[in-house]
Amino acid sequence: MTPSHPDVVGSGVAAPLPTHTPTDDALATVVDIRRFSIHDGAGIRTTVFLKGCPLACVWCQNPETISPRIEPVFFPKTCIGCGKCVEKSSNGEAIRDSDGAIAIDTTAQGNWQAIIDACPTGAIRWNATSYRIPELVELLLRDRPFFRNGGGVTLSGGEPLFRPKVAIELLRQLHAQHVDTAIETALHVKTSAIAEAAEHLDTIFADIKIFDSIKHAAAIGRGNSLVLENIHYLLTSSHREKVVVRTPLIPGYTTDPENIRAIGHYLRSLNPDVRWELLNYNPLAGAKYDQVPDREFAYAAGKNPPLYTEDEMKEFRDLARSTGVRRIVEQ
Amino acid sequence: MTPTSTRSAPTRSHSFIGIPSRPRIQELRDEMLSEERVVSVEQALITTRVYAAHPDEPVIVRRALALAQALQELNIVIHPRELIVGNRTAQVRAGVVSPEAGSSWVDREIESLPTRPQDRFAVDAQTITAFRTQISPAWKGLSLEDVIRDRCGASIDEIDKVVKINQKDHAQGHICPDLTRWLTLGPAGLKAEADSALSNATGDAADFYRSVSIVMGAAQAFLLRYAQLAHTMSAQETNPERQADLDTVGKALDHIAVEAPSSFHEAVQSTWMLFVLLHAESNASSFSPGRLDRILEPYYQHDLDAGTLSREGALELIECLWLKFNSIVYLRNQNSAKYFAGFPIGFNIAIGGQDENGDDVANDLSFLFLAAQAHLGLPQPNLSVRLHKGTKDELLTEAIHVVARGSGMPQFFNDSSVIPALIALGIPEREARDYAIVGCVELTTQGNNLGWSDAAMFNLNKVLELTLTGGIDLLTGKQIGPNFGTLREYEKYEDLEAAFAAMIDHYTELMIAACDVVDRTHADILPSPLLSSVIDGCLEKGVDVTRGGAIHNLSGIQMIQAASLADSLASIKTLIYDAKKLTADQMMSALEADFEGFEVEQAIMLNKAPKYGNDNPEVDAAAAKWASYFAAGLKKYVNARGGKYHTGMYTVSAHVPMGQNVGASPDGRNARQPLADGGLSPVYGRDMTGPTAVLHTVSRLDNTLTSNGGLLNMKFLPEFFASESNVDKFSTFMRAFIDLEIPHVQFNVVRREDLIAAQAHPDQYRSLTVRVAGYTAYFVELAGDLQNEIIARTTQSL
Ligand code: SF4
Repeated sequence: MTPSHPDVVGSGVAAPLPTHTPTDDALATVVDIRRFSIHDGAGIRTTVFLKGCPLACVWCQNPETISPRIEPVFFPKTCIGCGKCVEKSSNGEAIRDSDGAIAIDTTAQGNWQAIIDACPTGAIRWNATSYRIPELVELLLRDRPFFRNGGGVTLSGGEPLFRPKVAIELLRQLHAQHVDTAIETALHVKTSAIAEAAEHLDTIFADIKIFDSIKHAAAIGRGNSLVLENIHYLLTSSHREKVVVRTPLIPGYTTDPENIRAIGHYLRSLNPDVRWELLNYNPLAGAKYDQVPDREFAYAAGKNPPLYTEDEMKEFRDLARSTGVRRIVEQ
Repeated sequence: MTPTSTRSAPTRSHSFIGIPSRPRIQELRDEMLSEERVVSVEQALITTRVYAAHPDEPVIVRRALALAQALQELNIVIHPRELIVGNRTAQVRAGVVSPEAGSSWVDREIESLPTRPQDRFAVDAQTITAFRTQISPAWKGLSLEDVIRDRCGASIDEIDKVVKINQKDHAQGHICPDLTRWLTLGPAGLKAEADSALSNATGDAADFYRSVSIVMGAAQAFLLRYAQLAHTMSAQETNPERQADLDTVGKALDHIAVEAPSSFHEAVQSTWMLFVLLHAESNASSFSPGRLDRILEPYYQHDLDAGTLSREGALELIECLWLKFNSIVYLRNQNSAKYFAGFPIGFNIAIGGQDENGDDVANDLSFLFLAAQAHLGLPQPNLSVRLHKGTKDELLTEAIHVVARGSGMPQFFNDSSVIPALIALGIPEREARDYAIVGCVELTTQGNNLGWSDAAMFNLNKVLELTLTGGIDLLTGKQIGPNFGTLREYEKYEDLEAAFAAMIDHYTELMIAACDVVDRTHADILPSPLLSSVIDGCLEKGVDVTRGGAIHNLSGIQMIQAASLADSLASIKTLIYDAKKLTADQMMSALEADFEGFEVEQAIMLNKAPKYGNDNPEVDAAAAKWASYFAAGLKKYVNARGGKYHTGMYTVSAHVPMGQNVGASPDGRNARQPLADGGLSPVYGRDMTGPTAVLHTVSRLDNTLTSNGGLLNMKFLPEFFASESNVDKFSTFMRAFIDLEIPHVQFNVVRREDLIAAQAHPDQYRSLTVRVAGYTAYFVELAGDLQNEIIARTTQSL
């Protein structure tokens, strides 16, 4: 996901606010609004990607969403080398190196707003936009004519519940407008936040990645006790029917049969009828790490394993089914 | 075929794509496509001879006599495996020269026809000699082309950078005949009507009825010639299967020459013969069958009930007809071929939609037509599905399955947009509900309307250019229009708008004057008695269709192109007057230099102003505002046949040559580059917000702006159609399309080649998004190796 060019697109609602330390609960920090999402969930959906995540999986598909801050981002393919950014640079943010190429250090402190305004191509832009919640809701409702047959709005991220008040208010307003709502959460959030959000949700896609807490901490940065606690809550609460558990298949991290079995046994113990989906590994995610200077992808260039074949996926699903969980989601 | 196999079960599926085509179809298809396209002057020689032999007859009678003679003399051929027969030339896909319409251009271009860039035809030395010695000299100064040139050539040239006046060297087509009337009355019945009216008629009406009588007599004889040929061939045929085919064909022709069809086979044959005859009379584009599923349904149902036809048999006949629709192409001059590239002959068939009472009409034939398209994948007929709230999911899903095959067909029309637009034009509701489509996307009532839907194209972007420059052509530096001010002088955006409005008015007036002359010249030179006999109103009034005999008489003007215009105006307003990122002088200097040395300014115009197609109400409103202004300006004019001028928003390929006439523009487009395609579509690559946003943008254009037709092109990756669940989502998308009252949409499936092109020209493909497993990304922003991986994947999923 790439933030669209806000200038070219223009939403027609009030101009996005350039707030770069989003702590205000009236403001949502949005990396992208992807209308016409057809791959996630039922119907035609609008997916809104919120910034910020307490975890840091080394295979993250959207690494630019992990940090909650709005940061400058540079797309070298769009740059025409005009040097307007260099003119506004005071601190080495933008330089023209000896062979004439433009180098942008997005981690440097500087007057980024001036640089972004000066860049005529949008090669430098903010990687997210702040919206007031009612304006965001208005934007998300634009595609209401398409929200039939199960369509609606999906909150994704990042961790949409990273700022629970924002997400809950968003979901509340959408539900009040009778829009079908879904969330994609990694569950490393307070149970009270999950509980409140669930009141305004129709579908909850909840991740369990690694069952062993120590291995979890090694790959993801934190142990998984909160995740398991929240799964426990969800699968035993009145919201249990809304839940689809997801396990991404990350070679060498989550694909150990022991891990799949352990997750399955835990799920069966809570609710053998829960829907459980195994997501194929995405070998292309590494491409995005160029734009996120302070993060490294799980696999070095050239060591990136391929997608699992349909046969391999079937084996994984059979393994999952063998644990006694009855509703394994087929793609 | 046994009767039991043909009875309809109450809950059977309507998907017939799974029924395989019969072997003859592939054979006939290969045979047709392998034949070289050649130029034919056979009929031109006959026409020239007959005109010379009857110098004192009125033009309409000379036309009738020439056609009658041609129908008697032209070489006719039946291919041994054909079930549906007939053509206007012995060769398939011949380029027919019609000197009464245009011969000067043929004289200029005949040698280059085999090598020209678009739509080539082979031509032999003998043909060239015959044309130069016997045909061309006889028509100097007398053809439609020459007379129009004589009457208003200078004024057409004067405005030709802004307005393209059409129908200058060929007869007027773009019409949907009353096929039901033809099927019911046939040539014999129509001749009888003309003969009986002739007894009380005088003057022009008498000439008209006499001409109809002549051509209908000749039409009947033409059918019998084919019948005779079939019988003769049958007598010589040794293969019993082919002999049986020929007997069936011969009997069908014998019967329809004198009576109404008694079977589905006869009805299909009769239908095709009408179109052969129309093309023989007027070598023109777009005689369209209209709502063929509805019209042929009684014959189909009758045979099905009688147990004489199976669905497989019906499909075979339909596919034979479909092949026939590809056997006639139309020879255009080189310039016209640029605007209408790829032989859009326009056998447009509308399926589904509402009847006069608003009920859905889709039937078995609608599905069989879709199956035939899926099997053949040929450019004709131009298959159009009419959608409305009552369209059954089954039909919509089947149509999407055909779209997924990537031929760009069927296209979709929206009753909830089209019907109100036609009513607003003054068409009675019952007729509006029964609308059909002619040519590409032009809307028409059925069987009673000379819509003249392709009268002219009006380039709003060139008009804007002249408004910015004070009438100076940016491409040549010459003063070609009036000076109402320049961008450097307009103090407020409103000043620019006032000058733009005045410039539109100026060129509208000049355009209408030229259209009027062209229309009248058609009436003088190319009256069309055969066509008139199947257009309601003409026989009743005793007036030829070119003189206003039809019940409805419209003239359609295409606006070129609202999306490009909106982008340019948004750029000017945002960058110069609102955000003041550029001065007027900076912008004009950049445009004058075609951005050379002004790359930063160009990037600003491209990237720092909003663009049409992104659900931005302000930009979209500019498109709607100026399209409405232009359409309103036409309201004060009446065409030569007493009807209204109205507007369409579509092009076939004209956005390319129209763009060649326009200098660098404020939206950041380089000089001579194409404008937005389609007519409703955003400039390619600028719709960054996805397909739903495009539909919202288009929905902001008033329905009445496209009463002559609108065209929205959208592209999807093949993966989008890869699963049934995605087909369902597509169907949801189309339901919203219906609710948003958008007149038209057609879908192209993005191919591997497109992705490769996007690598080479990223600027034109900025909006192309691809699914990168877990997320969606803009293709052109992905790294090269990743792009290659996606290209590889796209190949696989096809
Ligand atoms: S201003 Fe933008 S386009 Fe110009 S050199 Fe800097 S990054 Fe590249």
